[in-house]
Amino acid sequence: MGHGKYIDPFCHSDPFCHSERSEESLYRVQAGEVLNLQFVVLPGESRDIDVSIDLIGPGAQAHIKALYLCKADEKVNFRILMHHRAPGCHSTQIINGIAGGSAQVTFHGTIVVAPDAQQTEAYQENHNIVLTEDAKVQTKPQLEIYADDVKCSHGATVGQLNEDELFYMRSRGVPEAEARTLQMLSFLSPVIPEGRENEIEKAVRSL
Amino acid sequence: MHKLLEIHNLHATVGDKEILKGIDLTIGPGEVHAVMGPNGAGKSTLSAVLTGRPGYEITEGSILYKGEDLLAKSPEERAWAGLFLSFQYPIEIPGVTITAFMKAAVNAKRKAHGLPELKTGDFLKLMKEKMAMVQMKPEFAKREVNVGFSGGEKKRNEIFQMALLDPTLSILDETDSGLDVDALKIVADGVNALRSPEKSAIIITHYHKLLEYVQPDVVHVLKDGRIVKTGGRELIDIIETQGFDQF
Repeated sequence: MGHGKYIDPFCHSDPFCHSERSEESLYRVQAGEVLNLQFVVLPGESRDIDVSIDLIGPGAQAHIKALYLCKADEKVNFRILMHHRAPGCHSTQIINGIAGGSAQVTFHGTIVVAPDAQQTEAYQENHNIVLTEDAKVQTKPQLEIYADDVKCSHGATVGQLNEDELFYMRSRGVPEAEARTLQMLSFLSPVIPEGRENEIEKAVRSL
Repeated sequence: MHKLLEIHNLHATVGDKEILKGIDLTIGPGEVHAVMGPNGAGKSTLSAVLTGRPGYEITEGSILYKGEDLLAKSPEERAWAGLFLSFQYPIEIPGVTITAFMKAAVNAKRKAHGLPELKTGDFLKLMKEKMAMVQMKPEFAKREVNVGFSGGEKKRNEIFQMALLDPTLSILDETDSGLDVDALKIVADGVNALRSPEKSAIIITHYHKLLEYVQPDVVHVLKDGRIVKTGGRELIDIIETQGFDQF
């Protein structure tokens, strides 16, 4: 990742992450550039995140990390389009989150690999934990591949906290709430931004 | 003076199936009891019920621990009161290190007893000492709990946690299964090091090997949800040569 020109969206993404319900963004990533996006949605707001990324120059890269935590009747919607238009581009996406209360979450992630985009590498992961019966998560990953020399994968899961892990920890004296917090933080660890660990931990404890 | 553990007429079901059909078992301070029995006898159900694993229903009977109703306590409260189960199949916890896990466990127990949290340095020193006792390499402290561990490493990790938590009543559920002789000796040495006039243990096994190294005071035969025979160590040899069919 060291050679490309780095586009830093952090300086502007955070303010609108916290102040607006909805964001629609289109990014065009040129040859050799690297785009890094990070989204954090914490309890207390509903959010629509709608991102389209065009990898239009050879060797362009885009990496998305997103974390959501929601409760009550909050709604969080992700719509991500990763469009590989040029050869040799590389994209990764990892979106992990936890839904409690009667929150509703949707994830719609599409990877499109254009006919000219040979030697594409594109990966997408979306993992979700639902804490309550009323929380709902819908995940819809989609791959549209029109080139033949590509490496693509996607993985999507919706699950619950592992009860065996929970009992194991409790049997050693870790209180149930603490054990759940440890489990949730470990689930989120791939997407927790550096420096925001305490803030995220506090939000997890509030679920 | 109370007995440490008094199980009276314990019946337990899983789903609709009755697994324990009237267990009576009393354990005094300092005693090591072996519970032996064939597969499906209810051995693991007994350990699950003692530690409060969800999914088991007690339909009849009682368990007193230090004179108090054990069944009324949550799994963590049982741990704070000095109960420990070495799991037959230790659970992997991806993303949680042994250090983070044990620090949470040790400090929760201290808090329950009105003690201040251990300072990180003191905790790490204690952990290192107990890991050395079961010959776990120091780098395991940073490993995720049981993730990628061999069978022997998982069992040693159980005994390490047992040593660290310093329980009053330890339950070893098939701790010997899947261990080679060297690992078995390490585990046995760890268990023997914890023996004292106040501390008791229940060793659940269908196999005599561990009992050669950790000698029990009392041996029970559990079969079809009941204790069908109680005796001394001579029972181990009888089972070894003649099996469980005679009981």
